[in-house]
Amino acid sequence: MILVSAYLLGQAPGTGGRQSFALLAGAAFGIALQRGRFCFLCNLRDLTREGDPRGALAILVALGFGAIGYAAVFGAWLPNPFGGRLPPTAHIGPVGPALAVAAFVFGVGMAISGSCLSAHLYRLGEGSPTSPFALVGALGGFALGFSTWNAIYVAAIAEAPAVWLPASLGYPGALLLTLAALLALAVLALRLGRAIPSEPATPLTAKGLAAAVFNKRWPFLPAGLAVGAIATLYYLRVAPLGVTAELGSLARTAAASAGALPTTLHGLDGLRGCATAVKETLLSDNGLFVVGLVAASFSAALVSGRFRPALPTSGQAARGLIGGVLMGWGAMTGLGCTVGVLLSGVHAGALSGWIFLVACVAGALTADRVTALLAAAGRPRAV
Amino acid sequence: MSFIKSFAAAGAALLVSAGTAFAQAGPLVTADWVADNLKNPKVKVFEVSVDPGVYERGHVPGATNIRWHSELVDPIKRDIASRENLQKLLSSAGVDKDTTIVLYGDNNNWFAAWGAWVLEAYGLGDRVKLLDGGRKVWEAKGLPLDTGTPEAAKGSVELTQVNAKVRARLGDVLKVAEGDTGSVLLDIRSPDEFSGKIFAPEGSKELSIRAGHVPGAKNVPWSKAVNADGTLKSKDELKKLYADAGVDGSKPTIVYCRIGERSSHTWFVLAKVLGYEVKNYDGSWTEYGNSVGVPVANLTGTVWQGK
Repeated sequence: MILVSAYLLGQAPGTGGRQSFALLAGAAFGIALQRGRFCFLCNLRDLTREGDPRGALAILVALGFGAIGYAAVFGAWLPNPFGGRLPPTAHIGPVGPALAVAAFVFGVGMAISGSCLSAHLYRLGEGSPTSPFALVGALGGFALGFSTWNAIYVAAIAEAPAVWLPASLGYPGALLLTLAALLALAVLALRLGRAIPSEPATPLTAKGLAAAVFNKRWPFLPAGLAVGAIATLYYLRVAPLGVTAELGSLARTAAASAGALPTTLHGLDGLRGCATAVKETLLSDNGLFVVGLVAASFSAALVSGRFRPALPTSGQAARGLIGGVLMGWGAMTGLGCTVGVLLSGVHAGALSGWIFLVACVAGALTADRVTALLAAAGRPRAV
Repeated sequence: MSFIKSFAAAGAALLVSAGTAFAQAGPLVTADWVADNLKNPKVKVFEVSVDPGVYERGHVPGATNIRWHSELVDPIKRDIASRENLQKLLSSAGVDKDTTIVLYGDNNNWFAAWGAWVLEAYGLGDRVKLLDGGRKVWEAKGLPLDTGTPEAAKGSVELTQVNAKVRARLGDVLKVAEGDTGSVLLDIRSPDEFSGKIFAPEGSKELSIRAGHVPGAKNVPWSKAVNADGTLKSKDELKKLYADAGVDGSKPTIVYCRIGERSSHTWFVLAKVLGYEVKNYDGSWTEYGNSVGVPVANLTGTVWQGK
């Protein structure tokens, strides 16, 4: 069905080819997330709670491989990084306290709701009972973000610099620094983690390979490489990866037509990131990407037997909504989420990506710690 | 062997075999001509697209990017780009004194036409051509796109001072508004902006706090000059289109729009394709409609912030 839609889209002159690519790339991303269980929060918790570093390594591989891919693209598009220009459309966001606070709140929100926004999208395809509530909550969080945007923009974003590492270090320096930082994080992850026994090798038969591709979780290396490759190709053809632009646009369009939006959102349309626009077309590139993501994750989950729809409990609904609101506010104020700011930002050599990484992890760990303390204090509180 | 059709010479049957840039008379070049001249050292191609990232994801092979919002205008004061900056830009793209400059872009060559007007103002005149139909035609024909950034040896191009003959200022427009019949004004915005029903198209940030148009101005929306495929209409069709609205080239003409960019498109059609004497008023409605004490025609009587 995705392939047929992509083929039909591709027949449209002008934008058709790009839209078709957006749908297919979204599908590929959905499959990679679902099969690799590429979820920022669960991978972090696997490491901190279970001592399993594989998920964290998958993220680091994706960051490193994408950074190499982006550097190759940048080299063609902007051979001289010192000229005072930023590469077109790359997610190089303003760096300041607003970003750190937004990413921290996003981290708290993902800890409460159980996943970040991209993972909620692929889990929607797995039939998760929490994800629909988290996504609805995120829409509300976006609307909240719009109402606080102007004050925050004037106070803390308007003059915040968009720091792009290659502009001061050059492409080789920025890439080396990025890879060295990722390597250091990988060493840290391995130290925190316990040794994972290697899985028995898959017999090289059709059945064994099919099981490896369709049934078992993809190992960290191919999962990370796939995400990094999709990110690079998507930037080359369409835009940096991001999953919240469409959500934000939905919220902005709804809020605008309900008259609940400030008439002007200062500076928003001029900033880099998952900026939102009032919807003019039904099928935006990002909308198609998200549709492809959810549909392909659903197919992949169905095939691997991970499609397990369940009726939500009131606790799941409440956690989804509250976490969703926090993530929506954080993603609006921070101009993106773990994909749009963290992944696409680190790929691009943007300092904003690293700030998001640190603050978001701090938010998630703080929320987990507080929850654990509350639970230990004997107060009933679901985790 | 390929043939080129020049709009300026469409009637005069000026069919010249391609191969050298010098054979290209007239202000428009076809996509095929550009494709045949990609390796011609005396032809330099520039993309001026409205949307960022369009050029980088695929452009005419060898074309240089011009970012209209920082390279064709002065980023600090409201003005066209300075002579020094523009000369540096063209020279580092390898433009020599005898290079033919071909501009093209998205949105039916909107900003490519703005570029052509700015270059005309700096004296490059007939060496500047538009690729008829812009990106739209290039893509529709399935011609190749490239993602590399070209490098060139420094060119010898030299710009003149700004030529006031192609640029109207507020005072010139005011004279016509106050009854001078020596020139004719042409407003190329949509009929709803012209009548004063709306202040600006949806989503426009640059506003004027008065609605309507300059008294006496004629109205022909810029897009009427373009065919569905993005190319310009034939010379005869264009002549009739503007003559019907009262602009026939018998008097000097001043074109304007909201911020002066769409009107460059009409400037190009009237001045370069039809050969009329035309100035572009780049201050346009955002300057005129915000000026204190100037006469305004507001057919619908819309009041700013009015309830």
